[in-house]
Amino acid sequence: MNQFVQVLLFGVTLGGVYALMASGLTLVFGVMRIVNIAHAAFMIIAAYIAFFAFDLYHIDPIISVLITMPVMFFMGMAVYWLFFSRIKGAKRAGELTVLLTFALALIVEGLLGYFFTNVYRSAGPSYATEALYFGRFFLSAGQFYATLLSIALIVLLWAFLKYSRIGYAIRASMQNLSAAQVVGVNVERISMIAFGIGMALAGASGSMMSFLFTFYPAKHWEWIAILLALIVLGGMGSLGGALAGAFILAISSNLIGYYFGPTWSPITFFLALFVVLLVRPQGLFGKKLEA
Amino acid sequence: MGETLASSKIKPASSTDSLKTPSKLQKVFLGILLLSLLLFPLLQFVVGGLNYWLHMLLYTFMYIAMASSWNIIGGYAGYTSLGHNVFFAVGGYFTGVLLVYYDVSPFITAPIAGLVSLALGLIVGLISLRTRGPAFIISTIALLMLVKIAFDNWDYIGGTNGITMPPILSLSLNLVKFPFYYYMLLIAIGAVYTSYRIRHSKFGLGLRAISQDEIKAEVAGIPTNYYKILAFGISGLFVGMVGGIWGYYLTYLRPNIFLIILVAAQLVLMSVLGGKGTVAGPVVGAILFIAIDEFFVANLGYTELNIVATGLLLALVLIFFPQGIVGSLRERGKLPAFLDWD
Repeated sequence: MNQFVQVLLFGVTLGGVYALMASGLTLVFGVMRIVNIAHAAFMIIAAYIAFFAFDLYHIDPIISVLITMPVMFFMGMAVYWLFFSRIKGAKRAGELTVLLTFALALIVEGLLGYFFTNVYRSAGPSYATEALYFGRFFLSAGQFYATLLSIALIVLLWAFLKYSRIGYAIRASMQNLSAAQVVGVNVERISMIAFGIGMALAGASGSMMSFLFTFYPAKHWEWIAILLALIVLGGMGSLGGALAGAFILAISSNLIGYYFGPTWSPITFFLALFVVLLVRPQGLFGKKLEA
Repeated sequence: MGETLASSKIKPASSTDSLKTPSKLQKVFLGILLLSLLLFPLLQFVVGGLNYWLHMLLYTFMYIAMASSWNIIGGYAGYTSLGHNVFFAVGGYFTGVLLVYYDVSPFITAPIAGLVSLALGLIVGLISLRTRGPAFIISTIALLMLVKIAFDNWDYIGGTNGITMPPILSLSLNLVKFPFYYYMLLIAIGAVYTSYRIRHSKFGLGLRAISQDEIKAEVAGIPTNYYKILAFGISGLFVGMVGGIWGYYLTYLRPNIFLIILVAAQLVLMSVLGGKGTVAGPVVGAILFIAIDEFFVANLGYTELNIVATGLLLALVLIFFPQGIVGSLRERGKLPAFLDWD
């Protein structure tokens, strides 16, 4: 029983970080209907920024969020302007954007590999190797702080969407893009900002990734597959769904890893994805996906 | 239904009612091309040292076969698959396992590997094709990841280390590429011919209707589910066959070679570059892509820049020429006759 609770605890804390990673992805899909295959590749860029900030300038990876988030926000706006503002209204736009972000992911992966080589990296702040004890249970300190920060950022995102003017506009665009346009939302500008926010969240995720996990340029394929599984399970474009999906899958993959061996825990995500597509293609909270 | 198709940019139904008979010019072109490809290896006995060119050609044939197959589901039916190298891997491992454990030549088992891939395509299609658009693409990526994890952890087929196969020892250096060359040529011809026949059949017309508007197609009485699942299966067939031969040619199989997403990306890029949904498009795309790729390898080295080039090319083509070479040329009325097989 103790073991079970311990594994559950690991799952819940991991779920918090997954939720942060998935929130940016689902936000971008919700507003623009862009399945951003390059989301995880941008997380890796941020992870490299955080890694080198720590390695060269001894900036704490958690503090580096203050660097990665704005940098990725502006990079996101630039990427949106360069790639996506051009193909608005194209035939089969959904598919086109998937392929385009796929191409973007390849470009990012190749450039990162060229400049930083394919060495496995991980930033090593002191708390990455410490453990915190809660009665009979323990957590890695890094994981604990990362989860706290993730939850704080998600709350901030929620408050921003709920109470700011731009947040109103973003939520309106998520519900119905053309209706939002009719009532005077500058959809083009909101899309650009939403893409920037999505990338900023990827930036924060990258900062966490830099000390929680090892990373290398091609690692983003594994991450994006996991993140897609999370948001498909929750319902694409639904923020609440992304959170639910993150916790459900983080906990179940940890349990499966514990009972069947760690090599099988990644399988959880893809099996879940297939089952969801088979049984309930719109996910737990999503509207039905249109082609 | 006829109206929807006629009003779209796709060539109207006139060419699809019956098999279009190729013009005399096209027949001559095709005859010369096939004859020269058949006879080319014999030059080896005259000048010698052609193994590099034989290698490049058979490599091109392989990708022509794969891109043309991909085009059946990705181009005609409009269901973009980013997990098509699963068939490639399944074909490769099927013949590889039979060779290593039971000593059966892949030249005999490759067609069976194709059928296994076809069956796999039908089963996966039953699940994945319940979704459309972005969700379908995601499901194919998930399939790829799933198979990669399974193959990485399956000890019988060597896990991450893969399988090493005995090379063909009995052939001299001059002859060693010959069986692979002709086999790949044969599969490529089969794949392109199948793609051509499907393009000019009722089945192909149904697939193109699905890519235009699936609900209308369904209403018009096209058995959309049956059609697209069948198309997915057929598009796995030839990919599995070339996989079976390619593994033997390489003499080793490893999940890291067959099951990386870059291979799937290349198939998509070739079709998009040449022109999705056309017969000649994937062929043109495959030839052009391999030529460019080889240029980059020779000039920049086989490194990360190769990945960047693949991505950049894909992005540029998608933004500026979404119709691809064949499609763009046709739109401008400048498509040469030897590329016009639609």
